[in-house]
Amino acid sequence: MNPDFIDRYARLDSPVHRLPAGRKLALTLGLVLLVALWPGAAWPLFAAVAALLVALAALSQIPPHFLLRRVAIAAPFALGMALLALFQPEGGRIFLTLLVKSALCLAAMLLLTASTPFTDLLAVLRRARVPSVFVTTLTLLYRYLFVLVDESGRMWRARTSRSFSTGRAFHWRALATVAGQLFIRSADRAERIYAAMSARGWEEK
Amino acid sequence: MKAVEVVSLTYRYPDGSAALRGISFSLDAGERVALIGPNGAGKSTLLLHLNGLLPERPADPSAVTICGTAVVPAHFPQVRKNVGLLFQDPDDQLFCPTVFEDVAFGPRQFGLAGAQLAEKVGAALAQVGLAGYEHRPPHHLSRGEKRRVCLAGVLVCEPAVLALDEPTTDLDPRGRRELKALLRRLPAAQLIATHDLELVVENCTRAILLDRGAIIADGPPSALLADEGLMLAHGLERPHILAHAHPHRPQGAA
Amino acid sequence: MHIPNGFIDGKTALTTGVLAVAALAWALQRVRATLPPQRTPLLGLAAAFIFAAQMLNFPVAGGTSGHLIGGALAAILLGPAAALVSMSAVIVLQCLLFNDGGVTALGANLFNMAVIAPVVAWLVYQPVQRLLGGSTRARLVAAALAAWCSTVVAALACAGQLAWSGTVKGALAFPAMGGIHALIGIGEALITALILRAVAAARPDLLAEAAPARPAGLVVLGLLAAVGLVVFVAPFACAWPDGLEKVAAQLGFEHKASATPWFTSPLADYQVAGLTSEKLGIILAGLFGILAVFVGAWAVARMMKVRSKM
Repeated sequence: MNPDFIDRYARLDSPVHRLPAGRKLALTLGLVLLVALWPGAAWPLFAAVAALLVALAALSQIPPHFLLRRVAIAAPFALGMALLALFQPEGGRIFLTLLVKSALCLAAMLLLTASTPFTDLLAVLRRARVPSVFVTTLTLLYRYLFVLVDESGRMWRARTSRSFSTGRAFHWRALATVAGQLFIRSADRAERIYAAMSARGWEEK
Repeated sequence: MKAVEVVSLTYRYPDGSAALRGISFSLDAGERVALIGPNGAGKSTLLLHLNGLLPERPADPSAVTICGTAVVPAHFPQVRKNVGLLFQDPDDQLFCPTVFEDVAFGPRQFGLAGAQLAEKVGAALAQVGLAGYEHRPPHHLSRGEKRRVCLAGVLVCEPAVLALDEPTTDLDPRGRRELKALLRRLPAAQLIATHDLELVVENCTRAILLDRGAIIADGPPSALLADEGLMLAHGLERPHILAHAHPHRPQGAA
Repeated sequence: MHIPNGFIDGKTALTTGVLAVAALAWALQRVRATLPPQRTPLLGLAAAFIFAAQMLNFPVAGGTSGHLIGGALAAILLGPAAALVSMSAVIVLQCLLFNDGGVTALGANLFNMAVIAPVVAWLVYQPVQRLLGGSTRARLVAAALAAWCSTVVAALACAGQLAWSGTVKGALAFPAMGGIHALIGIGEALITALILRAVAAARPDLLAEAAPARPAGLVVLGLLAAVGLVVFVAPFACAWPDGLEKVAAQLGFEHKASATPWFTSPLADYQVAGLTSEKLGIILAGLFGILAVFVGAWAVARMMKVRSKM
């Protein structure tokens, strides 16, 4: 997985980037809550929010194709669930409302994550007194996500390069072996990380 | 005062097999000593003992002493500040999401914060040639850069003793050359577990040969490494760099 | 199963949020009290593992593919409290970093995938594997069953939230979500059991470590999960038969069912005769249902145990 995909433009210098992460998070959440929880459809509101988001995106200097590609990747998830709504009375209207609402919120969240390093959001959580065990878990998850995804990719290649069966049963077994190995390696790595943390003076608080 | 003093150190793995058998040696302040031996000899296990990561339950309080302080749980904070441990896999040691956070991790545990902290982190990064890398996430770094960040995270605590586990593996030749030069400049006493025999010859004034948990030989690298029989018997080889050196028996072989 | 923004209304967002935070707070407190410090980093690494495992796709049917939720896997590998923390971290990161699942639906997504999935899995896994004799094989069978149940129950909770929000009618949401996830659940069950088998073969110690049962904590978690389910699923339970009947009619089963009532439910239409309060009746019926499922699972487990001995 290419980590660049997530934070490539998180450290530009623009008014949007300069806004403190905490305030940016609060503003985005406010906007998303307003749109998402507004009962039914409110087209003037949606249009206003869309205009605001476009203006902010332009201000942020993040290339539009980058944002659009990320919307295109995340949007189908909403589509699947919205399709369910089609099969009921007035389904068409509900379907459309759902799509617009989720797309607007997605765009708002994307703008936040694309213009804010995730570590800044973690710092906000820490300041907001989210329990330290949870923030530590989130931090380690973020740090080792890419390491593990790469590791599983390497194992998968090693596994498939040495086998010549393509059956479905093989596929499942290979999948499980790789995942099982990945867990074992993760557990071992967790122990080494604990050693590394202790070695630098870390104590459970 | 000795920087490191190890007296009859014995350790068994949780499964009962012997890992270290009656190890005794010491390091003077500023001395650079290589720890050589085949895989599974107990080199990494020995390094973990220097700052109390092993054993889980310390039995013998006088086995390991760092700068006059016994390595027992009550002294862990002081000992861990004094001993900088560089792990084999930089991905294990770089557990924070940015370079700054990672280098700052140690000093933070010892109570440093704010501008003072930032200054120290900046200085440590400059020392390893990575000035300006503060905001980089580790997954954007090369293997060599990762190892240097690890070293910065260790050096920032200004340890009196460095315990380095395979510091030159998977570095390219230039990275290796730069690391060796950096290590030679550091004032700390160093115990370096390594298979890189060039590093031993160029950086160390002494080498300890470890096999199956026991010290086989302890002496000047030129003497130890030139003894082809000794090297081959313990899974090592005589480095080409010594091709023209005069072989002689190691002194003080145990 | 990640609910996007805009699919959940205010009251549902608030209710699920409160339930999820309460469960997470309990789990964090539990983890702090019982997890040895050297295992703290494992929470993060296990979360990264679950995240990576969720990227494994498996074919479901008709060209579609499902992916692992991992709630059962986490619960069995780590125990319920640690699983809850790790799964929550995964859901929060997916929401904040990858925009997978809405922020306003974060509570609902946490509740379904980080609370319901591991808790249901654990509640099924523990008794079943013990009834089957506790061998590795018994554990794998129990794990598969637990994974399937956790997927389906999580999907039903999700359907309940969509229905309660008025987004999708219950009569549509329950059969649709339940039906799809009864299929996806088979994949989840297979892959969970296979992964556990691989772990058990290479490092049986890792499986044994996560096994200690803590009855008191389970009661709390079970209660939380039950409250959530009663809130989201029970009020719509009465709408279920409608949906099922409709499906049955379309498939042409209707006349068969009415002609030969080979099984008459004593809780027809989830209403207990003689009770005036409709809600109470539904809840009572729900509890009876849970009991019935437990007895059924126990009976099946017993039968398999006898068979495996023969």
